[in-house]
Amino acid sequence: MKLEVRDLGVSYGATPVVRDLNFTLDGDDILMLVGPTGCGKTTILQAVAGLVPIECGQIQLGDRRIGAADHVPPEKRHIGMVFQDFALFPHLSVAQNIGFRLSNQAPVNHWLNRLGLEPLREARPERLSGGQKQRVALARALAHEPSLMLLDEPLSSLDASLKDVVRWEIRDALKEAGVPAIWVTHDQAEALSVGDQVGVLNAGRLQQVAPPEHCFGRPANRFVAGFLGEASFVPGQFGGGVAKTALGSAPAMMADSDVATEVDLLVRPDDLELTQASASQGQGEISWSRYEGGTRLYRVALDEGGSVRVRVNHEQSLPPGQRVVLRINATEPLTAFPRA
Amino acid sequence: MRRRQFLQTLAAGGVVGALPAGLNTVFAADASEAVSVEDLPPIEGELTLYLGRGEGGLYERVLDAIRKRNPKLELGVRRGPTAALANAIVAEGRANVRRADLFWAVDSGAIGVVEEAGLARDLPADISAQLKLGFRYEAWAPVTGRIRTLPYNPTRLSAEQVPDDVMALADSSLKVGWAPAYASFQSFVTAMRLDRGDQATRDWLKGVKRHAKSYAGELGVVMGVERGEVDLGFANHYYTLRLKAGKPDANVALAFTNNDAGCLVNASGILALGENPAAVTFIRYLLTREVQSYLAEEAYEIPLVDGVAMPQGLPPLASVQPPKIDLTQLADLRPTLDLMRDAGVL
Amino acid sequence: MRVRWPPPSYPLAGLIALVAVLPVVVLVTLVGDAPDPFSPYNLKVLLNTVVLMALTVLGSVLIGVPLALLTAYVEVPWRRVWLVALAAPLALPSYIGAFTFYAAFGPGGEIETLTGLSTPSLDGMFGAALVMALYTYPFVLLTTRASLCSLDASQVNAARTLGLSLPMSLWRVVLPRVRNGIAAGALLAAMYALSDFGTPAIMRLDTFTRVIFVEYNAFGLSQAAMLSLQLLSIVGLVLYLESRVKTPHELPGRSLSIWPSRRQSVALFAAVAPIVLLAIALPLAVFGIWLWRDGAEGFELAYAWNSAYAALLAALVAVVLAVPVAHAAMSGRAGRLMERLTYLGFGVPGIVMGTALVYLGLKLPLLYQTLALLVLAYVLRFLPLAVGAVRSTSERIDPKLVNAARTLGASRGEAFRRITLPLTLRGIVAGGALVFLEVMRELPATLLLGPTGYETLATYLWRVYEAGYFGRAAVPGLLLILISALGLVLMLSGEARGGRSVLEDNRR
Repeated sequence: MKLEVRDLGVSYGATPVVRDLNFTLDGDDILMLVGPTGCGKTTILQAVAGLVPIECGQIQLGDRRIGAADHVPPEKRHIGMVFQDFALFPHLSVAQNIGFRLSNQAPVNHWLNRLGLEPLREARPERLSGGQKQRVALARALAHEPSLMLLDEPLSSLDASLKDVVRWEIRDALKEAGVPAIWVTHDQAEALSVGDQVGVLNAGRLQQVAPPEHCFGRPANRFVAGFLGEASFVPGQFGGGVAKTALGSAPAMMADSDVATEVDLLVRPDDLELTQASASQGQGEISWSRYEGGTRLYRVALDEGGSVRVRVNHEQSLPPGQRVVLRINATEPLTAFPRA
Repeated sequence: MRRRQFLQTLAAGGVVGALPAGLNTVFAADASEAVSVEDLPPIEGELTLYLGRGEGGLYERVLDAIRKRNPKLELGVRRGPTAALANAIVAEGRANVRRADLFWAVDSGAIGVVEEAGLARDLPADISAQLKLGFRYEAWAPVTGRIRTLPYNPTRLSAEQVPDDVMALADSSLKVGWAPAYASFQSFVTAMRLDRGDQATRDWLKGVKRHAKSYAGELGVVMGVERGEVDLGFANHYYTLRLKAGKPDANVALAFTNNDAGCLVNASGILALGENPAAVTFIRYLLTREVQSYLAEEAYEIPLVDGVAMPQGLPPLASVQPPKIDLTQLADLRPTLDLMRDAGVL
Repeated sequence: MRVRWPPPSYPLAGLIALVAVLPVVVLVTLVGDAPDPFSPYNLKVLLNTVVLMALTVLGSVLIGVPLALLTAYVEVPWRRVWLVALAAPLALPSYIGAFTFYAAFGPGGEIETLTGLSTPSLDGMFGAALVMALYTYPFVLLTTRASLCSLDASQVNAARTLGLSLPMSLWRVVLPRVRNGIAAGALLAAMYALSDFGTPAIMRLDTFTRVIFVEYNAFGLSQAAMLSLQLLSIVGLVLYLESRVKTPHELPGRSLSIWPSRRQSVALFAAVAPIVLLAIALPLAVFGIWLWRDGAEGFELAYAWNSAYAALLAALVAVVLAVPVAHAAMSGRAGRLMERLTYLGFGVPGIVMGTALVYLGLKLPLLYQTLALLVLAYVLRFLPLAVGAVRSTSERIDPKLVNAARTLGASRGEAFRRITLPLTLRGIVAGGALVFLEVMRELPATLLLGPTGYETLATYLWRVYEAGYFGRAAVPGLLLILISALGLVLMLSGEARGGRSVLEDNRR
């Protein structure tokens, strides 16, 4: 089912929470909605599900159009939802939860098997671990054969080692079900790795919707650039597809269709090369270093002001205070923002 | 023993000719004057009785016996606090719903309320003629009497120390137990008011209040006397007699004042609502010597038809000289309550 | 979730509130000139009333809350039996309790007669408050326990690892979060203390109800009605105060289990036994003595059936009606007001209320003095008992569960039936139990509105008590407690199983 959201606005009392929201979702695409806490992610899910009334705009679900005046109750929308803390019915067994409104047990058995829940069939939710609860919640939503799935921070209450496994389990299950999904998270790594599309939200407004590579590589604004990854901004001049900075020149493009000569060039830690320099040489000095296993991350305070982060091979270990030479080393064009 | 014979007599209908020996001796003096159940026609059809206060199965036994004797009678009984039933009857009257054919109340005041609302029908003259002088009314029939008494604790004072004038108690130093909130006590104060006037009554109340202890009901008063919490109290006679029946060595005895409100004889009464002729016959049953003597013996109530003996432990009615008061006047409680509040006892 | 549309429970709750407040409206129509309630004498009465109410609430909370903790958390053997025994005082009319206390204690009392031990007399404010507390603490016990059972108590363990003792952990971590439940029970205890006549009368304490009773018995119905309405001003104040008690909403979670050692179990039993002994065993023992002295006669087993049948019907109807009212109370200010209105009747002395119900019943002459109307009267009188219990449990349900059900395709109604209702079952059961027990001991409405000749345990008990044939009170008194215990056991087993079974046959 195709989902189209047009100019959606939601308020709690007099406080607007979501404004001017527009996006489209189709096929079996997964849209990752990402943003800081309190940006309105969960509210968008609730509005799409019909759990909060919308104030303005439209939600088109297949051939059904929902507006502020024509509310459709949640049970009529055929939307599956996985809640943040799973909202399993405490008085029902796992199988009863999954088959909540089903007369046919086939999908229940299918998803019990598919997600490895068969041994827990008769268990009560209170006895389940976090990962098991997550799978039950997912199975419950999918077994009811929704036309659209909504997932509200499905991994937030799992421990780190489990997150990665469950993340791919969910993705595979969604793909198998073949329905579009909106997946809310505040974890940018999760957003970039799982989604077919990533939507970045800030303060109730959608900043950018695009495939993950695009969002990361061509962020629409500094907020998106900063939210999705380590971002440093190096001042420079832009012209003819090239940006010139104190750290060297690099192919570049302006974000959106901005036009400017004085720019800040977005530099990711991997876009820089760092070499040791003698006391009087280089463009700055190391202020701290963090060992990351395969790599090492440095923060370098630039002589001309500001700082950048640089990621290098872990074999090179330099102490804070060490002078360094930095060079931009990018094959793809970098993104430039007009200087504020 | 008595109980069983009573039931047999009432239930046997016309089959048994002579009275059993036990009852015969009780009635030996002047049995001829009271009507016997044998002389009454059977009651038939439905009859609903509102019974103010149940009297623990004793009235019940009377009702059972009447039922047994009249197999075609369908008697429904509703029990409740007397005032509540009177209020319900008045409410039913206002709503034009009549459920009760008869109202039997332990308190003549409640009878007055229903009568005043115009709901009681006049009774045939021969019914009141069966009753003792002073207990004859047009629209209701007294069933049994209760006399005001002074129960006292004989371990704390002797019979001679109990005054025979109730008014004298205002200035005595005896510790007195009373139950001002109790309907019978209020009737007694009303009688005093009618007898001696408001001012004397108010002074009396204020006087006694100085050395009185309050109880919730008059059973409590009698128990308080027995336990020695007070020297003497004000109570209807039967509480003492019943207490002594259950506990023969109880430390309580009865004293009577003379010809004043202190020995007022009040009555339970019955009235008929509506036109059901069976209701009148039912009233006649209550006035038979069998029922009257049964209530006297088992419930220690005072029979009000001629020729039935007083309950054991009570002197003959004639010897105590109760005051002459129209019992329906006792329904006028409002001035009494005002006066009692004024005196600070309520 | 914030809702913009008008809560669906409002129309129904509004209607129920309206019907529940009708008897009070009838009182207004009965009003005539009343004696000045604020004369110096009556001010003393007013003070007595308020002090008695305060002491009753204090006592019932001091007894009820520890017992609630005990029955909810401590894994003692025969746990349910304890609970049943501890809730049983609710089945005994407090006037019976008061009377036996009065007869047992003091010089010449039954205890002295039997054992030769002299005991102090029990009367006045202390005696009345003690008896009231003993016969109202189960209100607090049941409502508090219901809240405790649906509370996530794992924080207690957290508090203990932070160095707090168990009692201190309960005091600081658990009790503040069940203030609602405690307050709901305390409210009922307060209303009972305000409207009961028998206990203060027997303990010779002048309270407002006594003034009302005197007027009523002197055939001043209109004055009694007026005074009852004046009493309602205190009731209104209490209702307002209780509604100010708020605890933040939280998610339900795992309940706590405390495993006492054998020695501790015995100690707990020793601590609890006196309460049961005083509230239940003492009255029954005193009646037993009288039974042995006087013998029992005239009792029929049908009375017990009548009691149980009517009480069960009333409990069922009351919980069904309580659900929308409780729901409305949680949905908004207007709903809250509707809920408060249903409480008013509970604060009116029973005999005045009974007469008001007679006037009301006479508006439906076809139903007047039928079992149906009697049950309705019980429901009107005791609805707040069910409402309070249901509300305090419903408040603890995670609204997300309803959302989850609805995204799965369940309509509002189905989500309510299959999620909210089973999860509220504890509260519904507790509410039903309260109504059941209270109906078992109800007197005035039963006397005036029951079918003619309809005798229950309470009416029989009253009949023999009134006439002074106390021995005959033993058998019905015992049966009253027995049946109430049976009812409690049935309901508690429903509480244990209730969650699972509702749903099997309810599929699309």
